[in-house]
Amino acid sequence: MKIKQISAILAAGCVLGGSLLAFSGCADEREEIVLRVCNWEEYIDLGDWDDDELIEVENIFTDEEGIIGINSMVDDFTEWFNSNHDYKVRVEYSTFGTNEDLYNRLSLGDVYDIVCPSDYMLMKLIAEGNYVEFSDSFWSDDEENYYAQYVSRYIDGAEGSIFYDYDWNKKAACYMWGTLGLVYNPESLVDADDVKSWNMLANPDYKKQVTIKDNVRDAYFAALGMLNSEYILQNDVSLEELSSLMNATDSQTIAKAEDILKNIKENVYSFETDSGKADMVTGKVIANEQWSGDAVYIMDEAESDEENATELWYSVPEECTDIWFDGWIKLKNGVEWSEQRHTAAEAFVNFVSRPDNAVRNMYYIGYTSSIAGDTVLEYMDYNYGAEEDAEDTFEYDLSYFFGDGATITANASEFEFDDEERTVINRGRQLFTQYPPQNVIDRSVVMLDFGDRLAQINQMWINVRCLDIVDISPVTIGIVAAVILVVVAVILIYAFRYRIFAAHKPKKGYFKVA
Amino acid sequence: MKGLRFSRSQLCIPYAVFLILFVIAPLVVIVYYAFTNGEGQFTFDNFINFFASTNTLGTLLYSFSLAIVTTLVCLVIAYPTAYILARSNIRKKYVLLLLFILPMWINFTLRITALKEILSLFEGNISSYPFLNSVIGMTYDFLPFMILPLYTSLQKLDNSLLEAASDLGANKLTVFLRVTLPLSVPGIISGVTMVLLPSMTNYVVLDMLYNSTYIMGSLIGSYFSSYDWNNGSMISLILLIIIFIVTLVTNRFSDKDANNRGAIL
Repeated sequence: MKIKQISAILAAGCVLGGSLLAFSGCADEREEIVLRVCNWEEYIDLGDWDDDELIEVENIFTDEEGIIGINSMVDDFTEWFNSNHDYKVRVEYSTFGTNEDLYNRLSLGDVYDIVCPSDYMLMKLIAEGNYVEFSDSFWSDDEENYYAQYVSRYIDGAEGSIFYDYDWNKKAACYMWGTLGLVYNPESLVDADDVKSWNMLANPDYKKQVTIKDNVRDAYFAALGMLNSEYILQNDVSLEELSSLMNATDSQTIAKAEDILKNIKENVYSFETDSGKADMVTGKVIANEQWSGDAVYIMDEAESDEENATELWYSVPEECTDIWFDGWIKLKNGVEWSEQRHTAAEAFVNFVSRPDNAVRNMYYIGYTSSIAGDTVLEYMDYNYGAEEDAEDTFEYDLSYFFGDGATITANASEFEFDDEERTVINRGRQLFTQYPPQNVIDRSVVMLDFGDRLAQINQMWINVRCLDIVDISPVTIGIVAAVILVVVAVILIYAFRYRIFAAHKPKKGYFKVA
Repeated sequence: MKGLRFSRSQLCIPYAVFLILFVIAPLVVIVYYAFTNGEGQFTFDNFINFFASTNTLGTLLYSFSLAIVTTLVCLVIAYPTAYILARSNIRKKYVLLLLFILPMWINFTLRITALKEILSLFEGNISSYPFLNSVIGMTYDFLPFMILPLYTSLQKLDNSLLEAASDLGANKLTVFLRVTLPLSVPGIISGVTMVLLPSMTNYVVLDMLYNSTYIMGSLIGSYFSSYDWNNGSMISLILLIIIFIVTLVTNRFSDKDANNRGAIL
């Protein structure tokens, strides 16, 4: 009897205690899901801005005055999401350094719900079927569907946009976009028109004073620009032809590109992955093949250097540029089994696409967001628009991106003009870099995935970068061989002369003391 | 209650687990990839590719030249330094020794970044001398690894041997050539091993000092980034075998010498 009583009390206690624990242990008893996001390094606002960094642009999305990053974007998303859903999300945010790095990780079995690779890698993932389309509700006119509402029609992948032909409409959501060009210091140029062409990279006037990206795709594109330079500039080439010229991967083109790149290798200061930014800012090099977003970063850095402020410019070579974008895509093996994760992933894209957040990211990383809308346009005006008392201003037309009638009153001194009609040509400063004018856009092509030509192009790249044993001159081989022989001979003579390696046997009549 | 007891062999378990997970298992994967093609079929093609490609052989030669020159420069700088530190009666020589080891406490990318600025000061445009800069960078990086073994072997050298040699009429040069140098061979060998092998693959130094020619490490990386695991793995494997042979040879020398030294003493 007694034992029964005790056990009954114990059981009751357990039940009571258990439920109490459940209540007190976490005040918020909603289910928590994990969202695995993988993005480029340094490609999202990490918050922690100073107060004076406040962007004084009207913010209709939060209660704050202006736009400022106090917490990191990921934390803000978690808070925002958790405040209006019946379950909670926790973001596992990781980063990658190159598209190939991400792809290798995916093929080794890493699982992410949503990733943000570049255009060609998106196409590769789509071709391999490792994706889930964005749901219909993502495109509905719901108030919180910020991406559908604010993405620029120019870039959304739908019919009429620049990427319409590439079949990622509704499968991916564009995050940042830009062009490939040359950042340069106008004061150090021999001839101001040198930056008009990709030939700058092989121009002996700038021997060891320009850098190129240490990346086979960007280097190959520049080489093709040089290869086709004369033809493109002297003929009226249609966009289709331009695209096929700049995406040529036949053996003959690859061989020609190899020669050009070998020539470039002798001429450039370095093949760089990241060091180019610092070398450009500190003035070690005059020009630098660069993505537009990093170009903005470099220009901002160079002009804010207090002791040695320099005004750098960005040029989109007249032959052609690679228009690229990085976009969000939901991976099949990540989100497949969970409706909630689908929702969270789409909410994440919507949150980073909310115009005030797009501005935060643009400010923080320097790249150009896919998001149009008045907030972003106002931010551009706030940043780069001319002061009211500025002397020489003009209306910079951005209607292709922000819609009809969108212009910014800009300082004429920050652009290069065609003298007669005063149209902006291929050069300018930050505003030009972030939103190139229509005529630059009109000669931009999308660089496709190399597909099964990758192996051959990579072999070409190895040929460029490696020392070929056939190329070594006999004189060099002779000198090296002679030096090695002498060193070996000295060591051997020494060793035998003093019998270093010989066993030391006691001489006759002597014996070894143990 | 008795305390937990481990036998000696049980104490090895953590290391054995580590070894299996992070050394043996990756090695098996490398061997697997090295002898298969993209479809997972067994093949010797990667092996043939290695020796058929003049680029790979050229890169191997370049890596070796870079490593050998670096090692020689390190040796030439380190030997006198270690000798002076170990043999002379400088006061506070431990402070001096510390000064040589001190750079190792600073992260090496930081050191190379600083070196880049110093070299720019002397050379102007540093990208004009890629080979020289790579040698300087690696020497800067690996010098302590050469000094320390030399210092240790020179320091424990028995003074009475040197005195005996002098007493028997040898001049200073002869003493050095016939006693000091032979007895420091183990130090030289271990210093050489510690510098030669890492400097064959340390491509970060080359990258940071703008040498755009590939060495073995960067070549492997470039295969991996084009999803060609097979050729990349074969190069890694062959490099591993070369390093293994070098280690084997140097070990033979140093062991034999250690025995000889035992015989002398």
